[in-house]
Amino acid sequence: MNSETGAAPASGTPLSVRGVSRRFGAVQALDDVDFTLEEGEIHALVGENGAGKSTLAKIVAGSILSDSGSMSLFGEPYQPSSRREGAAAGVAHVRQQLSLVRGLTVAQNLQLGRPDAPAIFNAGAARAEVERWSDEFGLGVPAETLIDDMPLAIRQQAEILIAVAWGARLLILDEPSSALGPLETQALIALCHRLRSEGTPIIYISHRLPELTELADRLTVLRAGKVVVAGADVRDADLREVATLMIGDVTLLEVDRPEIQRGSIRLAVSDLSVSSPHGVGCHGLDFEVAAGEILGVVGIAGNGQDSLAKALTGQVKLTGGRITVDGTDISGSAGQAIAAGVAHIHEDRSNGLAASFSVADNATARHIGNRRFTSFGVRLGDKIALHARELIERFQVRPPEPAAKASSLSGGNQQKLMAARELEQNPAVLVAHGPTKGLDPEAAKAMRDRCFAAAQAGGAVVVISADLDEVADLAHRIIVLYRGVVTDAFSSEDMTPERLGAAMAGLTETSGATGD
Amino acid sequence: MSQLLEATFWSATVAGGLRLATPLIYASIGETFAQRAGVLNLGLEGYMIIGALTSLYVADPTVAPLGFLAGGLAGMLLAAFMVLLSIRLYANQVVVGFGLTILGIGTTGYIFRVTTDVGGRDRQVSLPSEVDIPLLSDIPWLGDALFGHSWYTWLALGLVVVTGFIASRTIFGLEVKAVGEDPDAAAARGVDVVRVRTMATLMSGFLGGLGGAALMLGSVGRFQPWLTANRGFIALIVIIMASWSIWGAAVGAFVFGFFEALGFNLNNVFVDVPVEGLNAIPFFVALLILTASARWARMPRGLGENYVPTV
Repeated sequence: MNSETGAAPASGTPLSVRGVSRRFGAVQALDDVDFTLEEGEIHALVGENGAGKSTLAKIVAGSILSDSGSMSLFGEPYQPSSRREGAAAGVAHVRQQLSLVRGLTVAQNLQLGRPDAPAIFNAGAARAEVERWSDEFGLGVPAETLIDDMPLAIRQQAEILIAVAWGARLLILDEPSSALGPLETQALIALCHRLRSEGTPIIYISHRLPELTELADRLTVLRAGKVVVAGADVRDADLREVATLMIGDVTLLEVDRPEIQRGSIRLAVSDLSVSSPHGVGCHGLDFEVAAGEILGVVGIAGNGQDSLAKALTGQVKLTGGRITVDGTDISGSAGQAIAAGVAHIHEDRSNGLAASFSVADNATARHIGNRRFTSFGVRLGDKIALHARELIERFQVRPPEPAAKASSLSGGNQQKLMAARELEQNPAVLVAHGPTKGLDPEAAKAMRDRCFAAAQAGGAVVVISADLDEVADLAHRIIVLYRGVVTDAFSSEDMTPERLGAAMAGLTETSGATGD
Repeated sequence: MSQLLEATFWSATVAGGLRLATPLIYASIGETFAQRAGVLNLGLEGYMIIGALTSLYVADPTVAPLGFLAGGLAGMLLAAFMVLLSIRLYANQVVVGFGLTILGIGTTGYIFRVTTDVGGRDRQVSLPSEVDIPLLSDIPWLGDALFGHSWYTWLALGLVVVTGFIASRTIFGLEVKAVGEDPDAAAARGVDVVRVRTMATLMSGFLGGLGGAALMLGSVGRFQPWLTANRGFIALIVIIMASWSIWGAAVGAFVFGFFEALGFNLNNVFVDVPVEGLNAIPFFVALLILTASARWARMPRGLGENYVPTV
């Protein structure tokens, strides 16, 4: 497979990164990173969300600048100040959000923005060029189909094809398989091998470890902006160890978890399946949560967490299975979910609150239509404000101003406002999706205490989070999602970084594990 | 009634339709460019009327072609405000567009009042002579309809071919479509979104100004306040009917002109029917076509949304 003869006039190491650092505000995204891409290799760059993989990719592609350090490309000093400069030097960055223009065809995208394109668009020549490259790589990329009408996998192939047609000497694929099915992933791997044999080295960013054994030659692991494994041979690497290194040390039991009396089953999920047009959905989930119990749902972002949260709160039609709260079926009905006492802390505050509405309107939004706050269809502003004032006091929303717009509050206070709305009455089920995301430590602690309080009051709590420390702090029991199925389930005492890392990276054999 | 069965009635209606459509053709092909690029350019009526007045004031002491060109430039000048306020400073496109239309109508009316005597009889130009293209007017049936048009009409048809080519066969045309459909992706592919939108909007201003000038110099000859009488807005309707295609816009403009001419000509046939009723025919037809066009019209995805470059 490895041939030295390629179209690229490669002389010297394709890419050498030395001592690159980059800081975003308070976050050190990259800290003195060294990275070398050798000729004719596929180099996997792995790490958790926020480990710095995409930052490194963007620096190499020229989209962002590094704070310090140096790079060389094919033996020559390389310091791109824009993506265009990077592309001109032969670096193509295929991003997670694909950058083909949607209202145009592949052939049109081929010529759009191309540095050496003539002013007249020759549709026939462009089509022929797409077809030629498509044939050469054994792909089925249609030249004259609108990007909108193509499945994601084909769009991605089209973007790689265009990058190669533009003369890319080095490809960066940023989590290319994250939205692909198994067959599509196989096709992608074949394409990568083909490109490698043609002499184009590839940086392959992923946090899905299983495919790397087949795909990559070497791997580099980033954690919190630092290199923890530098260019190890994939064949010699122990992927379980890599998974553990990715995750790092999970610090257990930092907070005082209150003793909570376990009660009867309140939330029962059986054989739950949801299909999602843009994600992996979830498939055949079975679990139960008792009164006073906190279930943690972990997984790398995009493995079905959104679908699960929507299903549990009745916001999406199920393709199979059912969800009951205290014996009442709430499947697919947000109204019934609210009536059954399901509370939802939304992952994204901008979706979880009506930002342009007042604090009072947000705080009382669960009572829309409640006779207490309306008279013959007219909303009773005084009563709403009075009630909102009570909630503001109880949940310590600052500033304590019912008439202020929700968007004027800080992130932490927005989260408190959402908690006030959802947790005003003790919920039967609390679905807390990323409850402390983006909060400062104090606000995060307040939010965790709310979760404990909901459990202590006899609620069944589901915490869905990408923050492993948080789940370790909160949950009694943990299930791990990978591509929409549960790959492992264990009580929090049995949680080890090894076990967690393996399940999150899809290295577990079992896929039908249940939560009990 | 029997007139309706005569071929001359219909060829005269087609010819009249093409004449009435001429200003609309200029305006709608220009606006098509702006909207394809994602700019909802509601100042079109303003570009047309400022083009109309300017063309008169330049053509009166000089020659018509110079006035025509000046009309285009005046429209482009007004469109430059659209560029500055909406494309560069991200002001709401609808507000700025309407503002420019109102500004155009008001300013031209004012300037006209203070520079002429009552009725404006001292400011007028003679209408252009007919330019007949030998072979075209010999075609049976169609020939009569293609007889007796001014060079403003022929130029409009020529510009349809040129701009149609630019829209579909050039990289600039691709860039225009790209920045109207998916500006972020277009920027990621190295297209300068602001520059392309600027050019498309200025082009729309120029062609809108030419449309007003063609109306003034080609078929009216003298100004009156709000001479354009909603033709800019009719062009906006035409573009939707045409689903943002240049060729379609030209056809749509003609269809509108045809029914307008039909209304005039039917007025001589049905003398008892109030003229207002017959004049409403083109709008009634437009309503029907607009409703039907919901089936095929596909709006540029980024239409009306300002693009704010990141970093």
